[in-house]
Amino acid sequence: MPLIRGKGGASGETSGSQQAALDSPDADNRWTAARALAGQADAVPALAVALAREPIPRVREAMMTALIRIGNAASIEVLLPYLRSQDAGVRAAAIEALQALPDAIAPFMTPLLNDGDSDVRLLATELARNMGGSEATRLLCELIDHEHHPNVCAAAIDVLTEVGTPDALPTLERCAVRFAATPFLPFAVAVAMSRISGEES
Amino acid sequence: MAETATPAKAKVLVVDDSSLVRLYYRSALETAGFEVKQAINGIEAMERILSESFDLVIVDVNMPRMDGFTFLRSLRSGMADVATLPALMISTESGEQDMAEARVAGANFYLVKPVAEAELVRHVCVLTGVAL
Amino acid sequence: MDDSKGGSSFAVHISPEQVQRFCEFLYRRTGMSFAESKRYFIDRRLEDRITATGSSSFQEYFSLLRTDADQEIEHLINSFTVNETYFYREEHQLRCMTTSLLDAIVRQKKLGATLRIWSIPCSTGEEPYSIALWLMENWPQVDSYNIEIVGSDIDTRALKAATEGIYGDRALMRLSRDIVGRYFGPVTGGNYQIDEGLRNSIEFTRANLIDTKDMTQYRDFDLIFCRNVLIYFDDASRRLAAENLYDCLRPGGYICLGHSESMSRISPLFRVSRFPDAIVYQRPEADHG
Repeated sequence: MPLIRGKGGASGETSGSQQAALDSPDADNRWTAARALAGQADAVPALAVALAREPIPRVREAMMTALIRIGNAASIEVLLPYLRSQDAGVRAAAIEALQALPDAIAPFMTPLLNDGDSDVRLLATELARNMGGSEATRLLCELIDHEHHPNVCAAAIDVLTEVGTPDALPTLERCAVRFAATPFLPFAVAVAMSRISGEES
Repeated sequence: MAETATPAKAKVLVVDDSSLVRLYYRSALETAGFEVKQAINGIEAMERILSESFDLVIVDVNMPRMDGFTFLRSLRSGMADVATLPALMISTESGEQDMAEARVAGANFYLVKPVAEAELVRHVCVLTGVAL
Repeated sequence: MDDSKGGSSFAVHISPEQVQRFCEFLYRRTGMSFAESKRYFIDRRLEDRITATGSSSFQEYFSLLRTDADQEIEHLINSFTVNETYFYREEHQLRCMTTSLLDAIVRQKKLGATLRIWSIPCSTGEEPYSIALWLMENWPQVDSYNIEIVGSDIDTRALKAATEGIYGDRALMRLSRDIVGRYFGPVTGGNYQIDEGLRNSIEFTRANLIDTKDMTQYRDFDLIFCRNVLIYFDDASRRLAAENLYDCLRPGGYICLGHSESMSRISPLFRVSRFPDAIVYQRPEADHG
């Protein structure tokens, strides 16, 4: 079912008053305010500030949902830094949120897959899963061909196992050679290649 | 998978969002005589653990919807009959801080990815009290 | 990569690797998995869907499936599950309600307090009426509390049928003749109509799970049955629906999903709760940092 865009805040409340409520000491008020601001593009800056200091996971979720429902480049810019969080729960929430915006995330893919932080590159591979096969294959093969970190390659190979086209086969072969002495990688490549070339039989 | 004449040595739950990782661990552990079930994140892991009995849970850190740390903390503070389930945490991080955090969250042991099959089997044997 | 669509007159060949790819996608997306012994079942269903969509290859079908073109995920899931509605469907959850959930819920309430139970989607009414019947037949304390049952659906025609409360043999197949005799009266066409008292005891409303504004009007539910609908929603809609349902529940309230569904594929907001008859989900009593 397609997502129906919300019509805006709770009746009677202005966007301004809801944005102010993002500051409330009461978690329920912040929760309600975040939900009321879903789809309101002018709320992005206020949501960004509120998200940065939100300690309660379910309120954080609601703020991220609000940003997803706005779904523009500005919301993505707010969500991206959380991929770098030290908190695994925050990273999980951020990647979940970004996965819900496959079209909006497309322009960010190349910079993310080239990020200096291997953890960010690793998480970014997951975002290619919702893309078309050719585009995902192109992006992930480019990553793998230049990637030194085995876990990042492993993550990319996992996505290719599902969405990869036969264009990925040469990259995968080269990857297996480079990582022949590394645990798991040769296995992962073998499975990916058999799933991908299963198309040709 | 052919029926084995001997019963499984122990029952292990593998929790990782990567189907390749789950396949890899499952194949190594089944070959070594373990019964293996799988889950894709901490929520499914909790459902499985509350539905059937396991001797060990192997849990990745980075998973969608519920990461490994959140799962482990929830397990350790939850229902008494499963709170003490041995847990092997596997992560991409090799730092002291991450190992310490795993210990605090309630992991019995911690391995860094990518894990070799022999290494995995050896630690699973130790954690389930099964002879190698 | 896409070939032209035309129905193929020959069965499309699907390799074991392709079936694996498909199974992993289905497991990741829905949580459904199948033992090796069920492989034939999967192969058949997959072939049916490839044919039904006019795909000329597995790859073409799989691309279609991944983008959920023409709601293919819904058609696929429907081909794997039996989606009939009838009275006392998934009875173990009704049993869980009266043997475990209500006890936990009323611990926090005084006698005579209100208990709010929601069936959403309620379709043509079998589920909310089942809840009412089950409570009357199985809960000793049914008269000690003010029980409000709400049945909601997005489909106004289904709601109209629900308010009329007329059912055929198939819908009633799980009910004993004794229960049918006591709570239903025969009407034309060999059908039965549920008693007026029961028809009047359910509040039927139109509601849309992913319309937050709609959903915020529903508050303070102790128990929600939301079965066999979230599995069809896309990622973003599932997430939003779960958030809306959380908001409609009291802290400590429970939600039951359908037998093929799991919060692991939907939302981290709820706590997994195990009871003898079922696994259900709970809105936590309090927030944790």
